[in-house]
Amino acid sequence: MFELLGTSILGILHWHYLLPLAAGTLAGVVGGALPGVTITMTIIVVLPFTFGLDPLQGLATMAGVYVGGSAGGLITAILLGIPGTPSAIATTFDGFPMGKRGEAGRAIGLGTWASFFGGLLGGVFLITATGPLASIALEFGPWEFFSLFVFALSMVAGLVETSVLKGLLSGAIGLIVTVLGNDPVLGQPRLTLGISFLEGGIPFLPVLIGVFAFAQIMSDVERIRRGATGEGPAVAVEGRFSVPHLKVIGEILSRPFLLLWSSFVGLLIGVLPAIGGSAASVMAYDQAKKFSRRPEKFGSGIPEGIIASESSNNANVGGSLVTIMAFGIPGDAVTAVMLGALTIHGIQSGPLFISQNLKLAYGIFAAYIVAHFIMVTIIALGARFALRVVTVPKAILFPTVLVLCVVGAYALSNVMANVYILAAFGVLGYLLVKGGFPLAPLILGVILGDQIEINLIRAVMTDPNPWLFFTHPISGGLLAASVISVVFALWQHRRHRRRVAEAEDLDF
Amino acid sequence: MLGRDGWAGLACLVVSLVLLAATRGLPQSTLVPIGPGVYPRFVLGIAAVLSALLVASDFAARGRRAPRAPGAAPNYALVGAAFAMFFLYIVALPYLGFRIATFAFFLAFYALLEPPRGARRWALALVLAVLVALLSWFVFERGLSVLLPRGRWTDF
Repeated sequence: MFELLGTSILGILHWHYLLPLAAGTLAGVVGGALPGVTITMTIIVVLPFTFGLDPLQGLATMAGVYVGGSAGGLITAILLGIPGTPSAIATTFDGFPMGKRGEAGRAIGLGTWASFFGGLLGGVFLITATGPLASIALEFGPWEFFSLFVFALSMVAGLVETSVLKGLLSGAIGLIVTVLGNDPVLGQPRLTLGISFLEGGIPFLPVLIGVFAFAQIMSDVERIRRGATGEGPAVAVEGRFSVPHLKVIGEILSRPFLLLWSSFVGLLIGVLPAIGGSAASVMAYDQAKKFSRRPEKFGSGIPEGIIASESSNNANVGGSLVTIMAFGIPGDAVTAVMLGALTIHGIQSGPLFISQNLKLAYGIFAAYIVAHFIMVTIIALGARFALRVVTVPKAILFPTVLVLCVVGAYALSNVMANVYILAAFGVLGYLLVKGGFPLAPLILGVILGDQIEINLIRAVMTDPNPWLFFTHPISGGLLAASVISVVFALWQHRRHRRRVAEAEDLDF
Repeated sequence: MLGRDGWAGLACLVVSLVLLAATRGLPQSTLVPIGPGVYPRFVLGIAAVLSALLVASDFAARGRRAPRAPGAAPNYALVGAAFAMFFLYIVALPYLGFRIATFAFFLAFYALLEPPRGARRWALALVLAVLVALLSWFVFERGLSVLLPRGRWTDF
């Protein structure tokens, strides 16, 4: 394993791979640092650039975006008090006060190196756990896969913050998208509504790009007063600052429990589908506060808050990659795009991915590790110039992103139909966001819908007894876990509503 | 009266029921124990039930809806114009070709969000539009061998 990893790292260091990896990491750091541009949007923008590359070049670019983006958010969180990405929310709590105190260099150093160490710890888990987990998944029959996908979907739908019902309905809408077009087993046309390009089904990448890009951009557009897009926020620091690298590394390594625990929280959240880096960083921050001897200092600009948040959100990346590489289930929207990139290159994700594409899998591991070194270098060299970059007017940013979305959708198969799908789902995505519907269950539904149907039919073809879904221990356990996750989410929401109502009653 | 959730649920319910009705004509398969209509019916049935529940829960909560949060109202006119501009762009793409359509779209979208005031601003917007259109075309078509739409009317 280590020999192959070493060879893969040497391979990635060849300029043929290093260049796209560095470009992806730079794009990730810049995209992550831009307030209002999420890692998902950055990876959507980068996607069309990977079409002309070989699979490892493309996936290395995306791994770079993911690693760079997860760390890039800390720059604006510290310098502007605005998280560049949702996963840097908790970094603002202590990063911005520390920056305002005149220690912006220290705060950025702490965040960058905590991201580095957290990411590498996530990498250790990624490399050691993916293979064994994929081996377990290889033992699965169609009953287990069906139940695993149902569990992933129900958990994502149940974990949404707004409404369990809306989360479940959003997942169901995603599944409906997959039943339009030919059925995946026999190719029988169904529900094409007389539209010829629906016969091949709806490709998920234009759906994903449309839903996420438009939901984000149009939600920002609706807040724009005409002619006022270039307003700059207040900054914590003006001019130059320097990062005391050795000092901050010492500060981080002198808190080994905090680093390990926060990384563990990030990993765990990453492995669970579609919860995301923002939840990981906030949870790790909360845990760090609970374990701290001086919890009252949190929020005033202490290193623990930055270390917890940043180590956690970068370890989260490793966890998300495990889920997609071992099970073929995207941990979040970013890995969903990576899954799309795999299919564009004709590579099937899932438990067989590692055994059938060992070199590619280790290439991704290597790219993930090398990306952390590139990320540290980019932030160390470029953080002082970040303020100039992050003030790009939205009037330039938004049309550029939309053009790249069109290129991405069109270039998938060189047909305008994909662009029309992009536009249609762009409208749907925006409407769903306005209606308070979460988007993650919809995307997971679109990605897993075909697999759920294929495994259902395979199971019934093997043995028509439907009780086997419940009597196979793993399958039954996963279905029970699906029900429990929805019931638990319902109970949690009800309890939250009751507490809010009680608080309102007390508030005369 | 129904609120936002109620109308959303109702729309989902109608779509689910229409598609559910459309599955009635699907043939049974002789090769597979369950035909191509079984899974869609299952999914659409679940969607219909969830939609109906959303309508019902919204109706039940009609007296307890939170009032609209104070603050600036969303600029829906700008969103509508932005969507319209994007639709025009993708309709024009196959006729005008990527470079011309993208130039026009960028310029129009830029002007929509930040109307240029004065000749210098207009010049900047024009330069940016040319740069985005030509640079993206050059990078994708020449650099990455990704073909982009060519105009039926312009052959450009």
